[in-house]
Amino acid sequence: MIRVLLLVALFGLAACAEREQVADFKKGKYQGKPDTQAWDNAPLAYGSGKWTKGDRASWENQIKTRQLGQNEDVRINQ
Amino acid sequence: MARMKFLCDAERCIECNGCVTACKQENEVPWGVNRRRVVTINDGIVGAEKSISVACMHCSDAPCMAVCPVDCFYKTEDGVVLHDKDLCIGCGYCFYACPFGAPQFPQAGAFGLRGKMDKCTFCAGGPEPDRSEAEFKKYGRNRLSEGKLPACAEMCSTKALLGGDGDVIADIYRDRVVRRGKGSEVWGWGTAYGPGKPGAQPPAQQPARGRS
Amino acid sequence: MRVFLLALAMQFAGAAWAQSEAQQQQQRQAEQPGNNAPVWRDVKAGEKNFTTIKGRETEVLVQPPARFPGQNVTATAGEAWRKFRNGPVTFYGGLLVTVIAVVILGFYFWKGPVKLHDRPSGRLIRRFSTLEQVVHWSAAISFCVLGISGLIMLFGKYLLLPVIGYTLFAWLTALGKNLHNFIAPLFIVSVIAMIFMWLRDNLPKSYDWMWFGKAWAFFARGEHIPSGRFNAGEKAWFWGGVILLSVIVSWSGIILLFPNFDQTRAVMQDAWIWHASAALLYIAISFGHIYMGTIGVEGAYGNMRTGYTDETWAKEHHDLWYKEVKSASRAPAAGAVPAGAPHMKEKT
Repeated sequence: MIRVLLLVALFGLAACAEREQVADFKKGKYQGKPDTQAWDNAPLAYGSGKWTKGDRASWENQIKTRQLGQNEDVRINQ
Repeated sequence: MARMKFLCDAERCIECNGCVTACKQENEVPWGVNRRRVVTINDGIVGAEKSISVACMHCSDAPCMAVCPVDCFYKTEDGVVLHDKDLCIGCGYCFYACPFGAPQFPQAGAFGLRGKMDKCTFCAGGPEPDRSEAEFKKYGRNRLSEGKLPACAEMCSTKALLGGDGDVIADIYRDRVVRRGKGSEVWGWGTAYGPGKPGAQPPAQQPARGRS
Repeated sequence: MRVFLLALAMQFAGAAWAQSEAQQQQQRQAEQPGNNAPVWRDVKAGEKNFTTIKGRETEVLVQPPARFPGQNVTATAGEAWRKFRNGPVTFYGGLLVTVIAVVILGFYFWKGPVKLHDRPSGRLIRRFSTLEQVVHWSAAISFCVLGISGLIMLFGKYLLLPVIGYTLFAWLTALGKNLHNFIAPLFIVSVIAMIFMWLRDNLPKSYDWMWFGKAWAFFARGEHIPSGRFNAGEKAWFWGGVILLSVIVSWSGIILLFPNFDQTRAVMQDAWIWHASAALLYIAISFGHIYMGTIGVEGAYGNMRTGYTDETWAKEHHDLWYKEVKSASRAPAAGAVPAGAPHMKEKT
């Protein structure tokens, strides 16, 4: 009885530590919290660029185009 | 893709508060909550005034996530720190822990009782289905799912505030610094926490590179 | 906690200091355009700047640096607090509560409860008045609710969450948090009442020292030690727990409970450390009191439950008080013994 209690206490204490912060997407959930990934949506009809639904690389391309749009040096000096 | 980041160029920010307004408008955040704010250092002192726009910086080792008693935070594969308002209990610990004061609490009752925490989502919504009514009401617009970047950064009139993949915006910023030859102190993790080695000098105290 | 004087000095010197940083920046701007080192030093110092957004500490861009006890690196206050909370407070607090619980349970299984030596006489005397019972139980029940909800908020994420899942755990913790907030005032009021009610009987007496010397003999063999209405162990619990720890826990708790007083994050971080540390110690010590009042001492629970005790029990555990009551030098707590008071049936 005491030994079992001690074991439970020991494991309980060992569990009380910070865990590493990872992004692990499994079955529609990030560590138990449901979410959809951004590339798992179809592009809007207007104004949101082009990518294939579910294809991460094509979505990233779209985002990258958008990001480079913030570089006004390129726009001004060309 | 690396991690989503904000970068604010103190040489360019003119304290127009357009990012604050854009955020409020785009996400329709509740009264009394400001996900983004512009802080001016040396306000009114000619030649020394600098402004910086600050919101959740989506830390790679987020203190808010570490102290949350119900573990309502999560990190997406783009490095965006999000939280689930259905789990939040409004204890305020994330507000104590956040270096930037990003978590905001609408008042939910007498004596300053805190409601569900609200913070910048990098315009990435939250746990509800993307672009749904419920997601918009709780977390605001999900612009990442629309192939767009955060509204604050995209509409910044002087392009002081950059948002997006850390590598890409760092490239843009580097281009800019090379062109103008100054402003190498990048606002971000390293500036806030120091270089991470005990006893090391903070980056801001090193002699300036570039034109001197 | 942190270098308090330094913080205080910075408050006063703040304006002048900022001025000099600003002048440095003006100079730097002229000499080395684009070198904003003085501005970034200002940012890292965590002072108040200017913003049009009104709110709690919105003028502070980054929290000021801080170091909690045992930390050898300075970090922003929030990060330092996170490390202190998730590190020493969680670990040593958990260790303390677990070790005390295991020791008490181990003792119970090893030696068993302290039993009465003689047969109960069947004659009951009043030990606690109705008011005392009401105050004690409102304090006790609110303490348990506060303690359990507090433990859930600190350890539940690690121990309960993996077992019951996010939805149920968040519901439970939200319930716990609201109970914690709303029951706290009841606890504070009952503690204040307890302090006034029992202060006289808890004043230390010369014979109390003997109790500490012979405490082991009492626990292990049920040996008797002279004591008044409250024995020295109860007095220690009164002064250390009911007064000292309650004051720490209540004061820091009030700071945390009312954010509308616009206290800064640094104050709330410090208050949290005091609150959690004192509360964990309080919980650990309360295990001893709860054990002695329930399964640890035969007949002890009924005293507070009904307000009456058997003469044999009084004679064996609180002889000086018993003599006082019998010699009528002290009026017994009000109320006559009701017919067939419910506890301590005579043993056959």
